[in-house]
Amino acid sequence: MRDTIQQPGARSPAVPPRGGSQRRSPFGRDGQRTSEERLPQLVSALAGGALLTLGLQRGRLGGVAMALAGGGLLFRGTRTEQEPYVRRHGVVVRKFRRQRGRDATVELTVLQRSITIQGTPEALHRRWLDAETLSQVMGHFADVTSPGEGLQHWRVPGVLGKDLEWDAQVVEERPGELLRWQSVGDTALPNEGWVRFRPAPRDWGTEVTLRFVFDPPGGILGEKAVQLLGAVPAALARMALKRFKSLVESGEIPTTRPNPAAREGGYAS
Amino acid sequence: MRALCWNGINDLGVETVGDPRIVNPHDVILQVRMSTTCGSDLHFIDGDIPTMRKGDVIGHEFMGTVVEKGPAVKKVQVGDRVVVPSFICCGSCWYCQHDLWSLCDNTNPQGELQEPLFGAQTAGIYGYTHAFGGYAGAHAQFVRVPHADNDCFRVPEGVTDEQALFLSDAVPTGYMGAEFCDIQPGQTVAVWGCGGVGLMAQKAAFLLGAERVIGIDRLPERLKLAREKVGAETLSYEEVDSVQDVLKELTGGRGPDACIDAVGMEAHGTGVGYAYERAKQALHLQTDRGQALRQAILACRKGGILSVLGVYGFMDAFPMGALMNKGLTVRAAQQHGQKYLPRLLEHVVKGELDPSFLATHRFSLEDAPKGYELFKKKQDGCVRAVFLPN
Repeated sequence: MRDTIQQPGARSPAVPPRGGSQRRSPFGRDGQRTSEERLPQLVSALAGGALLTLGLQRGRLGGVAMALAGGGLLFRGTRTEQEPYVRRHGVVVRKFRRQRGRDATVELTVLQRSITIQGTPEALHRRWLDAETLSQVMGHFADVTSPGEGLQHWRVPGVLGKDLEWDAQVVEERPGELLRWQSVGDTALPNEGWVRFRPAPRDWGTEVTLRFVFDPPGGILGEKAVQLLGAVPAALARMALKRFKSLVESGEIPTTRPNPAAREGGYAS
Repeated sequence: MRALCWNGINDLGVETVGDPRIVNPHDVILQVRMSTTCGSDLHFIDGDIPTMRKGDVIGHEFMGTVVEKGPAVKKVQVGDRVVVPSFICCGSCWYCQHDLWSLCDNTNPQGELQEPLFGAQTAGIYGYTHAFGGYAGAHAQFVRVPHADNDCFRVPEGVTDEQALFLSDAVPTGYMGAEFCDIQPGQTVAVWGCGGVGLMAQKAAFLLGAERVIGIDRLPERLKLAREKVGAETLSYEEVDSVQDVLKELTGGRGPDACIDAVGMEAHGTGVGYAYERAKQALHLQTDRGQALRQAILACRKGGILSVLGVYGFMDAFPMGALMNKGLTVRAAQQHGQKYLPRLLEHVVKGELDPSFLATHRFSLEDAPKGYELFKKKQDGCVRAVFLPN
């Protein structure tokens, strides 16, 4: 039995990993899960940051007060690292602490989101596989290219003063249901992810779930990598899904770049 | 190009900014013929809602001529004179497909700013805060219109620019509010607010078969418009002890069958700062501004309909008990303009609807800050200031 964390659906993969990759998954579940639910904190931190920024831009009493409130939210958003892991249905962003060796623990960062999209699971699955789709959908945080079938090259610019890169390989594919990939080879940030397609009720189309799991090696470097990736908003999975949805449904990803404005030389988003 | 920009709280200025460009395949660029002020603009002008940035181009109620189109635009042609609803809608998501246009899933690039407050994301709006997308607004010589085939409505010959202009927001918002009331023959509809939206809600209530319409406001010139241009009965809330009592007396002790709130709150919920803003502001502001909605709930007859067009964020001291025990039905939305535009244009062509009387004042774009000042302070009988940017 392969030792992986939380497979999509409650069953084992129907298809064994492709490409002769028989290595043990890096996502072993051999430690007790003790980390905390992070979503409210993340939302709070994001909101706090926005408030803080806005408040500081405003420059009168109200602005200062707003900035203070923003700071309060930020505090709430970042101070709860030590709270115990709370298991709750629908938790979508969390960290798992994993035992590595006898004393050390390592955190897995799991980002999961779902969205409902017009279209059949089969059509959406095909669209996901389209060579251009991933690069457009992930464009908000990574450049994704497809050097070959079932292969992806991911590059997150500007992390640790250089690009954070990895190759990923599709390890499981069930048409109209699921696509799962894993990073291969050496990278500062081993990771895996899957996207799942399930029919939605009535005329809603398809429920699409996207999950990223980042599993850094021990040590400062790994921790930094996740921290920096986490600073690319934790809404990463949600943003990717939203972009995919807009692309599929409306034929474009909404944007305001470039947008006329009286700042930054006449255009700003 | 020249454009009216938000440079800070109560600081509007006409600035030179970049010309809008075709960004996405379904975009068109419009040369703006007319644009107008909206009461909801006052909230971010006054600094009561966040997510504005210095230099943002404002304005969301407008019409103009198509001067450039993207490669995927099929129906709309260069040269078309069109009116555009203030909400940007893709036309293909579940909500658009079900005529719930302002709930569009695919047009707000910064929708995550709304999630903490609304628990969801709405469609984008032109020139109306970054929480609503951050799109450049229409008080400008040119404006980019995404999803043009869904969002541009050709203005027929014989319909004037001013008639078409208000079909962008005030008319469809009011019409939707009246439609929410599910009006039956013989029914009475009371409308709080005699601004652009309130007057149009009153007009629409008649169009949809109301026997009596009662307009409520405090400004004599607006009440006069309600009487003379719409044919409504009017009630000045400053001149009576109890609006609720008067409405009951006017309806045989029952209360109006439906009540429309076209007032809203001073500060409304469009971003992460709202919860905090509400806490910050002394309650008197909130109770003042929440008064219309509370009155409407208390005045409405048992089993009646409450239609909410006013814009809200959070509200405390909300009379939930009255709502529940009287069995009221609440309906509310930002405008689903794309649903109503075809039939509204038809009403105008047939001469059944002429909203141009809302345009009490005209300004060049360069004088737009003066226009907003007049509008904000409701001076000189101003209902709507209209700008001619070109």
